[in-house]
Amino acid sequence: MSALLEIQNLRVTFNTRHGPVTALDSVSLQVNAGETLGVVGESGCGKSITALSVMGLIPSPPGRIAGGAIRLAGEDLTRVSEARMRALRGAEMAMIFQEPMTSLNPVFTVGDQIAEAIMLHQKVGHAQAFRDAVALLDRVGIPSPERRARDYPHQLSGGMRQRVMIAMAVSCRPKVLIADEPTTALDVTVQAQIFDLLNEIQRDFGAAIILITHDMGAISEMADRVAVMYAGRVIEQASADDVLDHPQHPYTRGLISCIPALGKGDTELREIPGVVPPLHMLGAGCAFAERCAHRFDRCDTEKPSLVDHGHHPAACHAVEEGRI
Amino acid sequence: MSASFLFRRLVYGLILMLGVVVLNFLLIRLAPGDPAMVIAGEMGGGDQALLDAIRTQYGLDRPLLTQLGIYLGNVLRGDLGQSYFFNQPVATLIGNRIGPTILLVLSAQVLSILLGVFLGVIAARKPNGALSGFVSVVATVGYAVPVFWTGIMLIILFASVFPIFPVEGMQSVRLRGAGFWVKAVDIAHHLVLPAFTLALIYLAQYARLSRASMLEVLGSDYIRTARAKGASERAVLFKHALRNASLPILTVAGLQFGNLISGALLVETVFNWPGMGRLAFESILRRDYPTILGVLFFASAMVVVANLLTDLSYRLADPRLRGKT
Repeated sequence: MSALLEIQNLRVTFNTRHGPVTALDSVSLQVNAGETLGVVGESGCGKSITALSVMGLIPSPPGRIAGGAIRLAGEDLTRVSEARMRALRGAEMAMIFQEPMTSLNPVFTVGDQIAEAIMLHQKVGHAQAFRDAVALLDRVGIPSPERRARDYPHQLSGGMRQRVMIAMAVSCRPKVLIADEPTTALDVTVQAQIFDLLNEIQRDFGAAIILITHDMGAISEMADRVAVMYAGRVIEQASADDVLDHPQHPYTRGLISCIPALGKGDTELREIPGVVPPLHMLGAGCAFAERCAHRFDRCDTEKPSLVDHGHHPAACHAVEEGRI
Repeated sequence: MSASFLFRRLVYGLILMLGVVVLNFLLIRLAPGDPAMVIAGEMGGGDQALLDAIRTQYGLDRPLLTQLGIYLGNVLRGDLGQSYFFNQPVATLIGNRIGPTILLVLSAQVLSILLGVFLGVIAARKPNGALSGFVSVVATVGYAVPVFWTGIMLIILFASVFPIFPVEGMQSVRLRGAGFWVKAVDIAHHLVLPAFTLALIYLAQYARLSRASMLEVLGSDYIRTARAKGASERAVLFKHALRNASLPILTVAGLQFGNLISGALLVETVFNWPGMGRLAFESILRRDYPTILGVLFFASAMVVVANLLTDLSYRLADPRLRGKT
């Protein structure tokens, strides 16, 4: 059986003042119904571009899907009309954004904004849609939802707004829910609540969740499977347990060693030295080579491909040759 | 919207009007020219005795501050005085002419906002497209061209080349005694050219402003959210974006209202529109102080009311401002 959402060899390019750059290079991901796929990586790795590609929201121009396929229940989203995409967006697939403070329209009440999503995809009037919106606000744990539905975004806290975003996203029971760093802007206690809520929603609605994050801690709490991205490519992909317990790629190892552990007496926060290279500066070799402790001559001349070298797929020459 | 906010703004407005009356009075007196000379001139010239008699009759021989006190007292009682030239109460003169001016100014305001914002929005949709460039050119030209020139060009065009719009006055003489709707259509027909002339310069400003404002709003996160919901491009533009982009447009619309009234003065003169503008123009030439002051009084009142309405509509459009003073 094929996966609910299947991304195959997706290639996305952007025209920039440095000329065309490849933001995503042969990215392949799958996610099944009821499953959570974690997509991890630092800023600029292509996580959000992957999500926006699925939603058909790549700003174009300058962005363009240059190759590959995105199949939702077998339908290739890179080939459907804009009208068909509009019908799918919000109904079959929905997205929760990183910034709850700016992602809601300041001049409409939150109830109206949720009701709009409902009315766009279901044949109901405003009164019914608004009642449904109130029920959804109740479902995502907003107290006195009747009153809150008539509030404007600026009257709600960040955590509440993210709950509103979640209510809006699940209002039409989408098959795929993409959460792009849903807790980055929130404080830690609220983060845990939002993750609990996403887990409950998934149990209730059976949605596939793609959780985009740079936080390995979030991955260990939420994800069934993990794809690690670096500079527009997937460099490691496996079950969450495998990735967390037996990371292969040096980049994944680095990310995991950055999780601060309580009670181990660590006094310093660790980090991976260096930054993600700008996309127009990528050379012929491995994009991570500059920052890698296991770099050897092959890393500078040949791009490693995502192949299983014994444990699970990882794109690394050092792993392939048994150097780590 | 709180009642106390409204009350406070009304009180501010009244205080402002009082200041405007005093300032107008003093400014007019500072300007060169002597009404007694003009009146005597109209009477066929005269000697010092006649001039003195005229000055005594109109109270112009008293100290300036005494005159101001008398005038203020009259205004507070609702009496704007007697026109030197028409020998009628100023309130009556203005009452007969304020209607056409309000009609012209409001038509121009509505026309310029609707058309300007519409052009700005469609230009913002494709900021690098041909239409966007066209709107920018029209906006720049519209902004640069003086209003009397546009008026005269339109008169030439529609008087001789395409005689489809009347180029003078507000009503056709031959329709005297016709029914209400016939008259209304006739006035609307006469209104087209003056309203368009007056609207053009502001239309250009609204187009530029709304294009810039829309471009800024269209890049925001909540627009992406609206698209992610599956909203149509039209709903994204005219519902989600325009409502937010309208806030700076409203501000400018309120501020422009005063300019619109002074623009109306020129347009009324060019098109022989029987409004307050021509009355002001004629009164200034004749040094008809009470009439000039009356016209300024009403024009200022219109601006104060327009600003109050802008404040209120601003709060209506942006929920974040409600509850604030």
